[in-house]
Amino acid sequence: MALQDYLRDMEGCSRCSSCKWVPFNQVKSWRFAKNCPSVTRHNLHAFSGSGKMIMGLSMVSGRSELNDTVTEIIYRCQLCGACDTACKVYRDDIDLMDVLLALRAHCVEQGQLIPEHMLTIDALKREDNVFGEPKARRGDWAEGLDVKDAVGEKPQVLFHAGCRYSYDPDLRETVRGAVRLLRSAGVDLGIAGADEACCGGRAFELGYQGESENFADDMVSRVKATGASVLVTACSDCYAAFNYLYPRMGKELGVELYHITQYLEKLAGEGRLRLRQRVPKLVTWHDPCHLGRKSEPFTGEWKGDKLLRPVTMKRTGKKGVYDAPRNVLKSIPGIELVEMERIKGYAWCCGAGGGVLEAFPEFAAWTAAERIEEALATGAEALVTSCPWCLRIFRDAVEETGALLEVYDLTELALVSAGEGVLAGGAAR
Amino acid sequence: MSELNMLVCVKQVPDPEGPPSAFEVDREARRVIPKGIPPVLSPFDENALEAAIRLKEEHGGSVTLLSVGSGLSRAVMLKALASGADRLVLLDDPACDREKLDAQATAAVLAAAVRSLGGFDLILTGRQAADTNAGQVGLGLAEMLGIPAVPFARKVEVKGAGIRVESVLPDGYAVYEAELPALVTVSHEVGDLRYPSLMAIKQAKSLPVEELTLTGLGVDPASETRLELVSLVPPSRERRCRLVEADSPEEAGARLAELLREEKIL
Repeated sequence: MALQDYLRDMEGCSRCSSCKWVPFNQVKSWRFAKNCPSVTRHNLHAFSGSGKMIMGLSMVSGRSELNDTVTEIIYRCQLCGACDTACKVYRDDIDLMDVLLALRAHCVEQGQLIPEHMLTIDALKREDNVFGEPKARRGDWAEGLDVKDAVGEKPQVLFHAGCRYSYDPDLRETVRGAVRLLRSAGVDLGIAGADEACCGGRAFELGYQGESENFADDMVSRVKATGASVLVTACSDCYAAFNYLYPRMGKELGVELYHITQYLEKLAGEGRLRLRQRVPKLVTWHDPCHLGRKSEPFTGEWKGDKLLRPVTMKRTGKKGVYDAPRNVLKSIPGIELVEMERIKGYAWCCGAGGGVLEAFPEFAAWTAAERIEEALATGAEALVTSCPWCLRIFRDAVEETGALLEVYDLTELALVSAGEGVLAGGAAR
Repeated sequence: MSELNMLVCVKQVPDPEGPPSAFEVDREARRVIPKGIPPVLSPFDENALEAAIRLKEEHGGSVTLLSVGSGLSRAVMLKALASGADRLVLLDDPACDREKLDAQATAAVLAAAVRSLGGFDLILTGRQAADTNAGQVGLGLAEMLGIPAVPFARKVEVKGAGIRVESVLPDGYAVYEAELPALVTVSHEVGDLRYPSLMAIKQAKSLPVEELTLTGLGVDPASETRLELVSLVPPSRERRCRLVEADSPEEAGARLAELLREEKIL
């Protein structure tokens, strides 16, 4: 929907600033009470969810115009959705996240483009991945693994690695470990390799919604061509695209969809995955935005007065994937889980999302460092997550800040516990 | 020959690679409204720019970009500039909205701009724009400027004091030679426009950008317009589904082949 379609949402903002804070009944300390990286970092109301709605209202009402400054403020935001979750604790009639997305689409339609994002979109169009790496090399990460070619060998389960896991050499062992873990549980698994493509979720968040739809159409065809009945992805961004964005765009993948944390929980519950080896570690869990509040299933577009909208159609951030990863973690012998202050629907973002990592890397790094501090405050020796984008930026932040904190993907700890790997050098091998 | 002073005319259009849903037809306003897609350079204009950059690399000289339109995206133009051009000239005026200007008016405005800027050896345009596909502006511009034009170039070379152009034909190509100044409309066979680096895009902000005005050029697009868009109707999509019924797959296949022949698809 266009920006003007959210006029009532924007007009309805009472400027209460709840969008800047963890819901008040969940605040545990002043230090970690803020929820929005954008306004916390820039300390000006314009950067908050409310501020962006005011700017949107002003433009829709013809009182101001889009310019470079407004565009930069709009894009200095990870689209983490914490503002939306906080707002909805108090309000039923505002879809703040949708306004932020519409603002970006408005920027793109008006040609107010961020150069870094233009290159990302060029890369997507050229090579089907956000990095512009050769599409022919997308499956190189799986070389030598005991896994079917999803195009031709008809596996039951299609493993979708996503752009980051496919091309980031530092995360190669992690994604290979995830596949080994699934194979050790006897999963009939295939990958599409060079025939895998980007989910298109990043394009949507950058405001290139038309381009995103092209990728969604393409992905539907690719998945159907494999004949798989189940799709498992290790990437939270891709999971949110498949579980929320595609249905919102009216696209059906036609498979049972799991994030890998959900699938591991299922395998463990069925007794196919046995996590028996002790992994003695005090860990804390980071909820990736795209696995948590942003992956809530799409429940339809409500037309008319949102105050009359059934609560089941209100996206509150509560229906994200929160329990599955925690259950898997708790089932690993030796693991002790200690929670951070900002978790689940009001978790602090890693900093990498919404095109911030590409366009404003220093802001992304600051956001990650803030989360590292929160993790350290729990006394944990390791931060565990399940998203390659979070993993990448947290590992970079730890290296940059020198923080004494290990960073793992959940599959790495599960791999070790399943007796299929060892922890060495801060990663599972 | 001495260095080439080249001008590339580029048009900003809604991304033609957007999905069908990204092009909303407003029948009353007789406009196509792009949704969720960015403006981009018309792809054949990108090919023209690539041809110019290659000539510059080989023979030296300069490449000036000229764009006429309304609401021109500075980001799109800077990216084009960063690909290897030296100067950007814009005429951004609501009267030059791409939905209002027909080919005649566009060529007239461009011709006035070219006369004002002056001194070009070679003018390159795309063979046609991605939004109208009319393919008339380049040749119309050459006519107005009184210079030779070669259409559908797949290769442009300097030969002596002129140019040698390979022009695409349906089943081959023709070779033309022309004296300079000349205009060439460029086809995609020339090759894709190179991708600029991020650093080049940021540095392009420091390159010269000039802004022209209709008043300054003394041209009125409305009086030059010869076409009137009477109505704009979205394509109707009709789908018919026929199921082939048969007792066996072999019979179904044979029956399907017969049907395809009957419908003259095979």
